[in-house]
Amino acid sequence: MPLANGDKDVATIQTRAAVTADSPTSEPVEPPSLDQPYVAASQDMPRPVKIIRPPSFSIRTVFTGLRTLVQYSDLLYTLSMFRLSVRYKQSALGWTWAALQPIALMGIYTMIFTRVAHVSTSGVPYPVFVFSGLLPWIFFSSTISNAVHGLVMYPNLLTKMYFPREIIPLSYMVASLTDFCIASVIMAGLMLHYNVPLTWHALYAVPIVVVLAGFAAAIALFFSALQVRFRDVGLAMPFLLQVWMFTVPVVYSLQSVPLKYRGLYLLDPISGLIEGFRVSVINGATPDLGSIALCSLLVLLSAPLAYAYFKSSEATMADVI
Amino acid sequence: MIDLQFSHVSKKYRLPTDGDRPKRWYSRALRRKSGQMWALKNVSFSVNEGEALGIVGHNGAGKTTIMKLISGITTPTSGEISIRGRLAALVEVSSGFHPELTGIENIYLHGAMLGMRRSEIRKKIESIIEFSGVGRYIEVPVKRYSSGMYVRLGFAIAAHLDPDILLLDEVLAVGDAAFQAKCLERIGELRKSGRTIVFISHDLAAVYRLCDRAILLSHGAVLSDGAPRQVIDEYQQMTFAGQGDSADDETDSNKPARCTGIDFSAPESALGIRTGYPMVARLSYTASQPVPDAVFRVSIYWPSGYLCSQLTTESTKGGYQIEPGSGVIEFQCPDLPVVAGLYRVDLAIESKGLEVDFRQRCATLRVEPGKIAYGDFLIENTWKNTESRDAIRENSVSG
Repeated sequence: MPLANGDKDVATIQTRAAVTADSPTSEPVEPPSLDQPYVAASQDMPRPVKIIRPPSFSIRTVFTGLRTLVQYSDLLYTLSMFRLSVRYKQSALGWTWAALQPIALMGIYTMIFTRVAHVSTSGVPYPVFVFSGLLPWIFFSSTISNAVHGLVMYPNLLTKMYFPREIIPLSYMVASLTDFCIASVIMAGLMLHYNVPLTWHALYAVPIVVVLAGFAAAIALFFSALQVRFRDVGLAMPFLLQVWMFTVPVVYSLQSVPLKYRGLYLLDPISGLIEGFRVSVINGATPDLGSIALCSLLVLLSAPLAYAYFKSSEATMADVI
Repeated sequence: MIDLQFSHVSKKYRLPTDGDRPKRWYSRALRRKSGQMWALKNVSFSVNEGEALGIVGHNGAGKTTIMKLISGITTPTSGEISIRGRLAALVEVSSGFHPELTGIENIYLHGAMLGMRRSEIRKKIESIIEFSGVGRYIEVPVKRYSSGMYVRLGFAIAAHLDPDILLLDEVLAVGDAAFQAKCLERIGELRKSGRTIVFISHDLAAVYRLCDRAILLSHGAVLSDGAPRQVIDEYQQMTFAGQGDSADDETDSNKPARCTGIDFSAPESALGIRTGYPMVARLSYTASQPVPDAVFRVSIYWPSGYLCSQLTTESTKGGYQIEPGSGVIEFQCPDLPVVAGLYRVDLAIESKGLEVDFRQRCATLRVEPGKIAYGDFLIENTWKNTESRDAIRENSVSG
């Protein structure tokens, strides 16, 4: 029938027009024309082939894992940003909380260690002294305490969608790092107020924080994966971190530790890093580079191991959560 | 090119014997043989580029496990899976949403979880918002959304993915009819543009409509692999075999009348029951006492579970009087209008509007292709060209 033929012609012209000129003006509700870029992509680029095999604990998973992580780097960024914005949503004080916690702790410890007990700080005002220890410590401990619960918080996500799971604990680290930066500004203000000079030695703090972040990441990865299987980890962690804080020189200085125990202290890399941070920032001196080098080496060894463990455990996380 | 390949894949789950409790430190010593469950046993199949594969099977047959394995949520116990190209799994459309974040923030978050880059999302965001129809609520935290908005936004994001392989798991089970139609339309579009699709669903009609091929899973093994119609038929037969009422029940003996069988046949045809050709249905019954005002019903159901039609003795003139003994009610259908497929059949006897005997899904009716029919029914018709004088030539041109 002539009418039918006419219709067909119109239809073919329309589809041809849609293919040649990609103007999505006809129907704005439809997503942009997907035929064209898709065909081009499939012809030009070889598609990546992914092979899924039973899980194994091997260092090779570290490299494949890192490659996938790079592909998902935007998710790490997005998730970290939203960690921060969600945390302060529907709170009146908002971002001030990032500064409030270390300030409050500083107040309490200053009260205790200047009025009740006395701690030698080699001449530095105690508030500045304790803040310089709390700053890296809070970064380290809040990363771990948040990250440990990160994976089990949203079981729905883990059983329904795939993305590299390490992004969850790592996003907590990025969020804590942002808090660290906010608190650093307070630190600078405190130093100004108490006339503690800031020297170029403070730049040592940058590599120290990087090493500390590496440690925090290794521990967060290991324990958050373990937490999926054994919730004991999450139950023990607050207590563990509290004890840990008093075994590292946060509220007191390493100098006030008797010499015979000091070696024992430096076995804990966190002690060395926090002491190094403090020395370089408030004392304006060169930190113990040997101990920092040792810590870096430890991070280089432990982080890949923790990551390999995480990746091998990730494979069956959805089954046991 | 093969886009997705399963080679001898098995997946074992450990069933904790004592509830959800994890292993206690002493449990190794007290360990009983902990339960194991093979969700998949030596499963092998492959999907070619541009093919749409449907996976059907009962609950617990291993469909979801296949889904989780493909998407990387979990890994196989043995075997190997290879995936060629970018994969996107459209599982539960809004599982990645964070309630405190606004619509826009969730688009970024969920999109990133689905593997989109920020730049890609930024380019598509207008279109996503428009597609979702959420409107000005896009700036509001999604915890304030209605469940419909939630789902629509979730699908809008997923619909803008640009994957090589698309995994769909029961996505069509959510949302209203209009939304489902939108989903199907979009999936059809993706299919047409050459995407490889793996579709896992209980909606057999959707599998039939969307897929080029289907596999039937049962107890973690591939039972059959072939054309959707054939696989769906097999699946339904398997379903009926497990569900059919047994003919003789203890409770039946005190019923005044009961159905004892149903038989569908095609008179004067060796090709079986076909669309557009005669069919005879013979319903046999026995009665232990007289049943006044009786009505026999043979209900025929679509695969989707909706009533397709019914053969019944019901009439405005009143019912039929059943005398004690047995008999056969024969329904004559001069031309069967339903399209080819496997239908489920219920039988019922009523008396004065009350149920005397009811047998659910006790039989199947298989209809083979006969006269050409599309859709659900054959509409008997004749046609001619009423405008043109030279009708015969016109017909040959347009045909």
